[in-house]
Amino acid sequence: MSTTVSQSKQQHPQNIVTVDNLKIHFPLKGGQTVKAVDGVSFQIRAGETLGIIGESGSGKSTVGRALVGLLKPTEGTLRYGETDISALSAAEYKRLRKNYQIIFQDPHAALNPRMTILQSLVEPMEIQNEGTRESRRKTALASLERAGLAPEIALRYPHELSGGQKQRINIARALTVHPQFIVCDEVVAALDVSVRGSILNLFADLQEELGLTYAFITHDISVVAHVSQRVAVMYLGNMMELGPTDSVIEQPLHPYTQALLSAEPRPVPSDMREDRRIQLQGEIPSPASPPSGCRFRTRCPYATDRCKADAPDWREVAPEHWVSCHYTTPSGVEQ
Amino acid sequence: MLVASNNTAVGNSTRLAERSTGDAQPVPGEVTPILDVRNLSISFRGRDGVTHVTHNVSFTVAPGERVGVVGESGCGKSVTGLSLLRLLPERTAIIDGEIRFDGRDLMSMRPKEIRAIRGRDISMIFQEPMTALDPVFTVGQQLIETLRAHYPVSQAEAREQAVQALKDVGIPSPETRVDEYPHQFSGGMRQRVMIAMALICKPKLIIADEPTTALDVTVQAQIIDLLTELSENTGTALLFITHDLGVVAETCSRMITMYAGEVVESSPVDDALRRPGHPYTSGLLRSLPRLSDRGSRLPFIPGRVPSPHALPEGCSFQDRCPHSGDGCERYQAVVEIDPTRHARCHKAKELNLEGAV
Repeated sequence: MSTTVSQSKQQHPQNIVTVDNLKIHFPLKGGQTVKAVDGVSFQIRAGETLGIIGESGSGKSTVGRALVGLLKPTEGTLRYGETDISALSAAEYKRLRKNYQIIFQDPHAALNPRMTILQSLVEPMEIQNEGTRESRRKTALASLERAGLAPEIALRYPHELSGGQKQRINIARALTVHPQFIVCDEVVAALDVSVRGSILNLFADLQEELGLTYAFITHDISVVAHVSQRVAVMYLGNMMELGPTDSVIEQPLHPYTQALLSAEPRPVPSDMREDRRIQLQGEIPSPASPPSGCRFRTRCPYATDRCKADAPDWREVAPEHWVSCHYTTPSGVEQ
Repeated sequence: MLVASNNTAVGNSTRLAERSTGDAQPVPGEVTPILDVRNLSISFRGRDGVTHVTHNVSFTVAPGERVGVVGESGCGKSVTGLSLLRLLPERTAIIDGEIRFDGRDLMSMRPKEIRAIRGRDISMIFQEPMTALDPVFTVGQQLIETLRAHYPVSQAEAREQAVQALKDVGIPSPETRVDEYPHQFSGGMRQRVMIAMALICKPKLIIADEPTTALDVTVQAQIIDLLTELSENTGTALLFITHDLGVVAETCSRMITMYAGEVVESSPVDDALRRPGHPYTSGLLRSLPRLSDRGSRLPFIPGRVPSPHALPEGCSFQDRCPHSGDGCERYQAVVEIDPTRHARCHKAKELNLEGAV
């Protein structure tokens, strides 16, 4: 990709993660491959929250897993700070890896039902060979408190807790090894609306207190808009748009982002609703046989023959605002 | 066939005994409702006793009206939906109250009579279309079966109507797709098939239980637009059960809020969004992150829904309510705020609650 060069030139000095032309392909029977992620490049800056949105099949969770080494890149590089992680030995990687944690969507499935909360909390430190039995216990209890839970909970089992409490446990567990960076994969999707706010507030508090960096992966645009400084929009294994949250939400430059934002049902009275829904035809195509050229062209209201023939470049259309579309301009798509 | 409830935990409660039963809500306007539910209480028998899941649920749906039922998980909205068609397991579910549909009493019907209503006069759409469709029959066979179960039409005629039904819900090339199996359809297309099946007998009422929750947002937009359009064109009433207040705002004209097994508010959607009548509705609306309010602290409702065995005396929301005080420990009757708005809160008239805007 020619554009990645220009992007790396203005590289931020303090990137926690740098992803360059990342591809993750899964082989299928019969020689086909699912191109779950197919050439994405971006950086995550120290102390920021990067939101990654997309529908199912967009590759957002695959990227999230790759960011913490749960999936190996088929192609491309992943750097933690300045370090290319593919060049590390297993021991070096394990030491570095503890700074990079992930929290999953289903708070219940992420906890072992046969372990007490305390046992779950000390496990990451045991794996890292950190401290003594007593110091691990202390760290675990301190993490619980930081996540807003009473220490008594440590001796309970997951089934005794509510969904919100369990997600707080998962957060506390990630904190026990003092990470710099946490991938949050749909962390509030399984929670009731009334408790989502308290969990999102907790993430914000922890970021401020501990200087954490997040990649916040979600399908919920209102959540991403709330927590992120920058937003990346994915579609069918490619990145469509990446920019400051305000620009992407207020003036989306990619036709897909525009449709996605307009599709979000809004809880406002009928007289306040802008009638501007862009109805997309059909659904996301199979990542095993993605369309030629631009991935979005089969559903794009502006698609032309050029979109079929050539994949659009990843262009910096406005300052810090990157878009992959032939036709977009700083004020949107021009026909 | 249907596993109904996430509320099947057992226990006991003496709560019902203390409740008065006379607060069925008046029908808004002069229209005779197509569905009239009065004092519906559902309990489940378990090994260690009886769990009371809903208490004196009363609401109405007018012909052609689209009503949203909202609330968090465990508030009793799905159980209520299933009970309307008597789909709850008969051996364990105890249903008390009145369900009148089109002037007829569904509660006292014999199984044969209720079967004649299911699918023909009232049909249902579920969250997960793949589990609601039979994988070993083509969608055409399933559509035809539904139609011929209720109407004496020939196979050829039924097939024609099945193709038309698929066409009506926007499935491309319905003539060939009618012979395909559910697994050959994508998630959104499967939900369209479900809607086609729900509509093929031209019912008077559709109960849709989280019909778009499993779908992506761009597909969800297609499905809610389709449901609204079909309901408007055919005059079918819709009871839309969902946790998503945005979906209700875009599809329904009235909103019923349930909490801990009770209806706590019934208001026109626009009113509920602007000035909700019950503190729980207000709390739900305020908890939604707004695109316009980025980066600020998010409001939330402290605590959690009480379990059916540990409901507080009086108002079931009082422990989480910012307005609780004197009088909340007493049983809460439904208060009429104005003829179209009702809330189960003794302060409903004096409180000025914040909505979504």
